[in-house]
Amino acid sequence: MATPHTDPAAWSTSRLLDRIPAYVRAFECYVPSRPDPVLMRQYGLSHLYRLNNNENALGPPPLAREALAALESGRTAQYPSGDSYNLRQALAARFGKSPEQFLVGNGSTEIIAAVIKSFCGPGDALVTADQTFAVYEWVGRFSGLETRLVPLRNHALDPGALLEAVNERTKIVFLCNPNNPTGSWWNRDTLEAFLESLPADVVVVLDEAYREFTEDSRFPDGMEVMERHPNVLVFRTFSKMYGLAGLRVGYLCGGQELVDVVRRCHIVYSVNVAGQMAAEAALADDAGHIAATRAMVAGARDFLRDAFDSLGLEHVGGIGNFIMVRTAIPDTLLYRQLMRQGVMVRTMTAFRFPNWIRISLAQDEAMEAFVRAFRAVLDQG
Amino acid sequence: MRVNAEQAVFLELPPEAAFLSLAVSAAETAGKAWDLGPGRTPRLVLAVEEFFEYLRGNIPPGDTLKLSLRRRGPALRAEFRFRARSLDLRALNFAAGVAPEDGREMGLLLAARFTDRCRLERPGGDSFVLSAEVDRDYPQAEPLTQHPRLQPPYAPLDQPSGDALRHAAMLAAGRYPARLCPHGFFEPGRLLDMVAAGLYEVLVLADKAGRPAGIMLWRSPAGSLSVFFSGPYVLDEARDPAIARALTEGFLARVARTPAICAVSERPTGDLPAEFFEPLGSVGCTQGGERVEQQAFYRSLREDEGASVWAHPDLEPFLRREYERLAFVREILPVEADGGQPHSLLATDLDLRRGMAVLRPLLDGRDLAANLARHVEALGREGAPDIFLHLDLGQAWQAAMSPALLAAGFTPRLLLPHGATSDMVVFEHGDAAH
Ligand SMILES: Cc1ncc(COP(=O)(O)O)c(C=O)c1O
Repeated sequence: MATPHTDPAAWSTSRLLDRIPAYVRAFECYVPSRPDPVLMRQYGLSHLYRLNNNENALGPPPLAREALAALESGRTAQYPSGDSYNLRQALAARFGKSPEQFLVGNGSTEIIAAVIKSFCGPGDALVTADQTFAVYEWVGRFSGLETRLVPLRNHALDPGALLEAVNERTKIVFLCNPNNPTGSWWNRDTLEAFLESLPADVVVVLDEAYREFTEDSRFPDGMEVMERHPNVLVFRTFSKMYGLAGLRVGYLCGGQELVDVVRRCHIVYSVNVAGQMAAEAALADDAGHIAATRAMVAGARDFLRDAFDSLGLEHVGGIGNFIMVRTAIPDTLLYRQLMRQGVMVRTMTAFRFPNWIRISLAQDEAMEAFVRAFRAVLDQG
Repeated sequence: MRVNAEQAVFLELPPEAAFLSLAVSAAETAGKAWDLGPGRTPRLVLAVEEFFEYLRGNIPPGDTLKLSLRRRGPALRAEFRFRARSLDLRALNFAAGVAPEDGREMGLLLAARFTDRCRLERPGGDSFVLSAEVDRDYPQAEPLTQHPRLQPPYAPLDQPSGDALRHAAMLAAGRYPARLCPHGFFEPGRLLDMVAAGLYEVLVLADKAGRPAGIMLWRSPAGSLSVFFSGPYVLDEARDPAIARALTEGFLARVARTPAICAVSERPTGDLPAEFFEPLGSVGCTQGGERVEQQAFYRSLREDEGASVWAHPDLEPFLRREYERLAFVREILPVEADGGQPHSLLATDLDLRRGMAVLRPLLDGRDLAANLARHVEALGREGAPDIFLHLDLGQAWQAAMSPALLAAGFTPRLLLPHGATSDMVVFEHGDAAH
């Protein structure tokens, strides 16, 4: 609870605050959700289904679990590899590239900030969609850059409009493929045509955080695309498919020259020992895990689609472990009502989809609990 | 956000009579430099003079008076910051225009009368801010009463031109009752200045032919976690609901990634699409001698975190009912009335045009009941039939006031989540509140 500040220097504080750049003053602090035990106490719950962050309900692959279980606590006295040496070797082997083409960060969000710092100065601009993962826009705005937001068309990134928004000041275009939260995606041809039309001196961040969730052969492989388009930087993460969101490991891959530039603005030693180890192990043991996760996600998606269809509700989903649905009440109210029944979803107002919620796709038990609570809330009117 | 390069002057003055002329000439200079005009500048000067004269005799020894003059859109604002330790706080009850019975402190009252807005705030502890604003004069524009048949699609104007804004405002003024229109709809120059200064954000939709199809406005007062919206104003002859919907969605999209955590209706029109909001309830307003119920609508912009609030047992049934209805989890912490020091202090925002006054507690005191009665009586005399009081449940000492409020004829009407440092209760005075 806020208590009044009794600072007799309120005057100087107010003058100090007057000098903060307007773009920081206007900036919203991201408020992460509180820890489960706190929420459960507040809402009087005995169980909480967390369906808000698109985490993998199956957790990490078995080898990663083993590696974590075997982690000796004494090991934490030493610094990790400052540049995730072994993990980069493993990634290079997996994708047939050189380890120098990879940059590992404390989650891919950390690398988003490094890319913006590396390429942009005062007066530069970014282009991204208005209804997409928020971090591109956030980092752009608190860095004082013009961040041009392009509306989606039919719930998908609109290549023509994105191209139109690019001008001489544009340094980076952020593409989320598949797009969070709509699950829409560009196929190989759409992406290729876009890259052909874009000036080659504009960096393209191709965020493929959810790419492991599809096996559709029309889905472009960023690792291959970047070979033909040296301005493309591919982002991937161990937070989603690999079930390691709690350890914060993400990475970027691109042409070596470009990656060297980003490395200059990247903080070394930001990825911890456990994260590096678990990610390396996860990569070595992912085939069965990916298949099981895809099956779980597909089952959950069908189940929720049927439920939404039977309620006559509009829903949107595609690739990724999430689906969105629109209701006739505010999403933020629906959130509170679902929380009272032990189900946590993500409200979409902040994604500029007012009255939509996004649900992470998980095991049957959680999906059934969600549908029960959802129906109960909508029934009560 | 459009924030102009800061136009401000800061002075730190010893509380001595000799420095009055410096304060006064600063106000005169600011009035001239920032186009307040020869008719209006003397009003600001008067406020600065009266405030200075009152405060200099009352602040703790060794303290200084901090005066700032700022340009804020249509207004020039003079603001004194000071500490009040030995100050006769009782007198400040009248600083916002409530007449004392006995003619004391006429200077403060006079200043309040001659300015457009006068406000007393207590940012914390014993520090206070006393401010006055005087607005520039603007020409009136005739409202437009012919609303053309418009053609979809309706698209938001990226940066509406002054003319587009002016046109939309005049069309809205010609369709909606005055109580639902901001002042700037009748004086479009004022609206333009407010938008340029960032005091209002605005969304204008145009139809296929580029004609104004709708307008929505909102403001986010400094220090508030809420945005207060007016509208949606639909300018199509047939009142196409698609316009109201696009305005509402556009508004929500624009405030979605700002520091605001909720949106609250300030002037909700009948065109507001219900599915985007939660009805909070209503308060009574007097209009041409008649009372009408003004609905209030609310919407969280974020996932609610839960919170704790203070409450006296008197208020608990109301709070529990509202929290249950609105599905907010709150821990209600009990407080007891105490009223430690002798004199309470209330700030009054008086809006005579709307016949409305809003009281905010600044200090609790043993004379609270009498002070409330004095305010109600004085405001009645002033011609403000609608009296509200905003109680911040994030402050235990405020929550402890509820028994005195109930005894003084105030009734809790609305619970506004995050309306203050925590949730806020809007009390309404009078029998009609029941
Ligand atoms: C599109 C997208 N990119 C990146 C991330 C963040 O990944 P990380 O956990 O690696 O920071 C997310 C997480 O929600 C995401 O949805």
